[in-house]
Amino acid sequence: MVPGSATKNEVFTVKAIIQHQMETGLRTDSTGKTIPRKIINQFVCRYGGVEVFRTDLHEAVSANPFLEFQLLATGNGLLEFSWREDGGATYSLYHDIVVT
Amino acid sequence: MSLTRRHMLTSTIGTVACAVALLTPKHTRGTDEVEDFLFRITGRKATPSNRLRLVMPAEFSTGYTVPMSISVDSPMTEADHVKSVRVFAPKNPLVEVAQFHFVPGRSLPRVSTRVRLAAPQHVVALAEMSNGNLLTAKAWVAVATNGCL
Repeated sequence: MVPGSATKNEVFTVKAIIQHQMETGLRTDSTGKTIPRKIINQFVCRYGGVEVFRTDLHEAVSANPFLEFQLLATGNGLLEFSWREDGGATYSLYHDIVVT
Repeated sequence: MSLTRRHMLTSTIGTVACAVALLTPKHTRGTDEVEDFLFRITGRKATPSNRLRLVMPAEFSTGYTVPMSISVDSPMTEADHVKSVRVFAPKNPLVEVAQFHFVPGRSLPRVSTRVRLAAPQHVVALAEMSNGNLLTAKAWVAVATNGCL
């Protein structure tokens, strides 16, 4: 969730959530075999191509990881959110912001 | 070898001294434990600071999704900013929770998320400032049901 517009030098809040199991790799299935770890291990927010916020996530982050953070409106630009999963797959979301 | 009175005295004193050393609790307060924990992890001394705030509920019904908010007082200029904040849950099987990286002039050192806690414990935040200082803050969280990790 991101506002569509902001005034210059204003602080705006970004709320991001992704549906993900966050399998910790510490659980076992009914046969006693370890369920392999599969978590979102990194979240990056780029603003106009520049990295402005990054999070390294570990096993203790809840399922469906939720992040709320604050950015400074520096100018018109594309916000890119990307989540990286174990195994290297990435999921990205884009959002244009108009700064007046 | 004969056992003299002198032998008996010295050995008794030695034994008593050892026992006292062993029985004296190494940690008497939670603060010491947190400081020791951070020193083991970073190899450096972190300063407890009011500038770093870690806000978590003192009691929470489930250890699966415990809300957590972090904020740091900082002008976020090139010369004086927060580089990153790391969070640890020392009683979890894997103590690292997350690390948040901030950029001067672009992001504010504030973040909220949800974490899993395997047991009631002190959650520890560690902020690395641009001048290399380490600030720390902790929050006691009692979870009613432990989050499976």
